[in-house]
Amino acid sequence: MARRSPVKVIGSRLVQALPVILLATFMVFALLKLVPGDIAVTLAGDNATDARITEIRAIYGLDRPFLVQYGAWLGHVAQGDLSQSLLTGEKVAVSIGRAFPNTLLIVVIALVLALVTGIPMGVMAAIKPNGWVDKLISMIASLGVAVPGFWLAMILVAEFSLKLNWLPATGAKSFSASPIDAIRHALLPAIAIAAYGMAEVARQLRGALLEVLSSQYVRTLHAKGLSMSRILWQHGLKNVGVNLLTIISLLVNRMLAATVVIEAVFAIPGLGSLIVRGAIQRDFPIVQGVVFTMVVVVIAVNLITDLLCAAVDPRIEQ
Amino acid sequence: MTMTTRREAMALISGALASTTLGGSAFAQAAPKKGGTLRISAPANPSSLDPATGGAGSDHAFLFTMYDTLVEWDFETLKPKPGLAESWKFTDPNTLVLNIRAGVTFHDGTPLDAEAVKFNLDRNRGDAKSNIKADLLSVASVEVTGPQQVTLKLKTPDTALPGILSDRAGMMVSPTALKAAEGGVVTRKPVGAGAYAFVSWADGEKIVVKRNEKYWKPDRPWPDGIEFSIIPELTTGARSVTAGQNDLIYQLPPRQKAIIERASSVKVVHGPTLYVLQIFLNWAKPPFDNVKVRQALNFAIDRESFVKAALAGLAEPAYMNLPKAHWAYDAEVAKLYPYDPDKARKLLAEAGFKEGTPIEVGGYPDQDSVQRQEILIEQLRKAGMNVRFVNAPIAEASAAFFGPEKKGAGLLSAWTGRPDPSLTYSLMFTKDAYYNGGRAPVPPELEAAIKESRASEDIDVRRKAFSIVQRLVMENAFVVPLAFQFELVAMNKKVQGYRPNLLGKPKYDDVWLEG
Repeated sequence: MARRSPVKVIGSRLVQALPVILLATFMVFALLKLVPGDIAVTLAGDNATDARITEIRAIYGLDRPFLVQYGAWLGHVAQGDLSQSLLTGEKVAVSIGRAFPNTLLIVVIALVLALVTGIPMGVMAAIKPNGWVDKLISMIASLGVAVPGFWLAMILVAEFSLKLNWLPATGAKSFSASPIDAIRHALLPAIAIAAYGMAEVARQLRGALLEVLSSQYVRTLHAKGLSMSRILWQHGLKNVGVNLLTIISLLVNRMLAATVVIEAVFAIPGLGSLIVRGAIQRDFPIVQGVVFTMVVVVIAVNLITDLLCAAVDPRIEQ
Repeated sequence: MTMTTRREAMALISGALASTTLGGSAFAQAAPKKGGTLRISAPANPSSLDPATGGAGSDHAFLFTMYDTLVEWDFETLKPKPGLAESWKFTDPNTLVLNIRAGVTFHDGTPLDAEAVKFNLDRNRGDAKSNIKADLLSVASVEVTGPQQVTLKLKTPDTALPGILSDRAGMMVSPTALKAAEGGVVTRKPVGAGAYAFVSWADGEKIVVKRNEKYWKPDRPWPDGIEFSIIPELTTGARSVTAGQNDLIYQLPPRQKAIIERASSVKVVHGPTLYVLQIFLNWAKPPFDNVKVRQALNFAIDRESFVKAALAGLAEPAYMNLPKAHWAYDAEVAKLYPYDPDKARKLLAEAGFKEGTPIEVGGYPDQDSVQRQEILIEQLRKAGMNVRFVNAPIAEASAAFFGPEKKGAGLLSAWTGRPDPSLTYSLMFTKDAYYNGGRAPVPPELEAAIKESRASEDIDVRRKAFSIVQRLVMENAFVVPLAFQFELVAMNKKVQGYRPNLLGKPKYDDVWLEG
């Protein structure tokens, strides 16, 4: 069977992505309109009369039917315009452009930390299943999954910022302006969400490796006289590559979600803080813009994962 | 009245004992000096930096730095005092003459003259986008009667106007900037005549202002500029001050005091404000359509205990909508509702209210609010009232209670102060006011007394009028005031000259940085 070219794969996936984007943004928009609370009240200010609130609705087009409002938003997006905050008038694209790098840096550092620690742990646990190393690693992994990120975050701040004064307690710095400073700011939040990632990588990798190691061809390799480390690093890891890629893609998506809470703890002006502010104030262009961005990122991550998986394991295309 | 904390008092005493103490900042009165950037942790992104179109009470902390007001107020009592208007006079009850200070310019160089003032006032009371039209409802016309003089012709006597002109309505924006701005709104490019000029605003992140070198007040401001970091999570904000990333944080909840005082680099100041925690009532529907049930509610609450338990003692028990320090406070009205659960039960019986009938009251889900609710539930239970709180985020709960939905019998919320007390009363206790949740009528004598409070300029006459207003509001028990929360500000010890004010919205007029 002939392999489809990557270009075609990407093309068809993008076509499939469209309905997902539409559905996700529509649902979030509907939810925002369904929950009580009204941005017109916020816009009208502290001393507003009912008449003033009605007037505000008319000025901002909030009195139009729900579908018309969604359609108007969509129309702007189709022209590459994420419109602007109803409250402050800042372009949503500008807000996102400023917030996204902060979130991305945390996720990237967290992912690297999770892999650098999780992979060796998974491998070590799989070498001798149910040995004391495996049990110790299992315990650490269980802790990593169970400990809430925000709690770990506060402990980290108390210890490393307030007591030892090694790392800043709050805020973010632009990576392009000063990479080292930016990483220093992102390190604690990244560690806080990496703990879960490390545990997940270690556990999944252990499981996948055990399966591979118990297969017949590994027995053959043993019989051929190959050392355990060669079997593991050359044959074992190669065969769990697809599992690993899948774990990574799930982790990226999960870590993006985790930043919503972590950014609040560290006062990091990222995508998470942005969407929380938008949702609380019912500033729907902001919420819509962030949801749109997140959906696009998730779809892109999944697409890249699929392409990489296909490259690692040609059977997937069939 | 600024209260020094116990820690500071101790420092003073020890400083006095050991006269050789090195550089005890609370002790040595160093001279203020210029320079440095004041870094402030602010709890909320502003709704707008245009005073006429914004809405949130939390905006003032930014607006006051960039916009000067026609009238200012005394920090301790909120009595109006000259600002951009160096003097004012009611030449007759329907005419207010404002004399504008000469030689003041906006940050863009536009002169602040009578024309500029007229432009602003007309915009504030007439522009479709203005949120403060209601503040200036009594104004019929604004006339330029001299190069530095405007005359306001009024529809009805309104001596609350000086107070009103110390708030949003009196913040002067450069007419040049307004005319050039898209949609006539300077939300993102504010140009005022305040101590600091706008530099930048990144939504939800940072606001930067720099010293106005041509500011009219001598020597002010001391710092080169202010950087506000917007940190909605107050615990995080407080940490940023202990960690030295910010110099000052305001509007801390009382429970933070003990925590933040553990940091040796930080000092804490607090003082009373007009910010009052209270239960708004809907007196258009049962059970609070019955005055006796409303009174019972007021008798059933032990405010002293509430302040101790819910607010760490950092508050003043509230028996009306003005605290002791205010010029219009009436000590007699404050005696109307001593804690008396038996009296409450008796009133409920007289009202035919069945003990234990559930009463649904709205509230907010944050930690502090829930703690307050738990204390109130327990106190009210002792008087035979079964209150259930239904919590939702602020915007949602407020809209449900004050808006058309009319959800719940009450709302545990708060009232932020207004520079003139007549606004507080007219915004809550007149028939069509938004904060009269049920839009139910009030006694005609109350409406008349509110009007009366705005008729005279004489402060003693006004004080008497407010006594009547307050007595009528509390006798009718239209509200359950609980406590005036103190302003709690924590700052690095190098920050000098900060004073809390009674309005509870921070101003940094005399702040300077040591070292």
